[in-house]
Amino acid sequence: MKTTDFLCPKAISADLKGSKKEDVISELVDLFISSGEIDKKHKKKIVETLMAREALGSTAIGQGIAIPHGKCECVKKLIGCLGVSKKGINFDSLDGEPAHIFFLLVAPVDSAGPHLKALARISRLLKDKFIRDSLKSVTDEKMILKIVQQEDVRLSKL
Amino acid sequence: MPKLEKELMIKNEQGLHARPAAMFVQIVTKYNSNVTILKGEEKVNGASIMGILTLGAQKDSKLKVEVEGDDAQALLDELEVFLKREEI
Repeated sequence: MKTTDFLCPKAISADLKGSKKEDVISELVDLFISSGEIDKKHKKKIVETLMAREALGSTAIGQGIAIPHGKCECVKKLIGCLGVSKKGINFDSLDGEPAHIFFLLVAPVDSAGPHLKALARISRLLKDKFIRDSLKSVTDEKMILKIVQQEDVRLSKL
Repeated sequence: MPKLEKELMIKNEQGLHARPAAMFVQIVTKYNSNVTILKGEEKVNGASIMGILTLGAQKDSKLKVEVEGDDAQALLDELEVFLKREEI
């Protein structure tokens, strides 16, 4: 599975504004709404689902990355959005570092396998420090998409 | 330093997804020993959530877990119990 198989090209933000966990999650869900992936009537429920998941244990996986995720009957396949916070947000990560890169996933209610594959692919993409630093430093969404697409090509050749 | 290794099978229904990966790391960091996980040709640090997630380890997949350090046996025992749990 490639990152571009689930990352919605229009659901990317190079400059998340929120400074609290819930604000950032809400901002990320808005990316799905503005790109037409999810109807805004589902927003409240999705944010609640994602926050409930965070309450079970933070999805910040270290190295400044968080992968909030949840399920909703409003999607037919796994979708993802990507946002970058320049200042970083306290996301209760195990390593205590603020989170800068947010990859949010929403999956259909009946799926489990694609989710695990997507997590593996995102981790592969972001374990490279050069990629993390690049994503944090660029100022526009097109560049973020380009970096992800180039890495997808490189990772698929390995 | 004692060095132990064991092949363990994942029994959790959803595989090693984000939460179990974080719980695995929380177990590892309670101990002094270092953990390396091998799956096929891949090799990751057992104290890295991101490393574990890159494995995409599903239910019934086999992992070779290497543990090195003064409390290796206790850590390996706890990891074995954890990976055998079906519900996490």
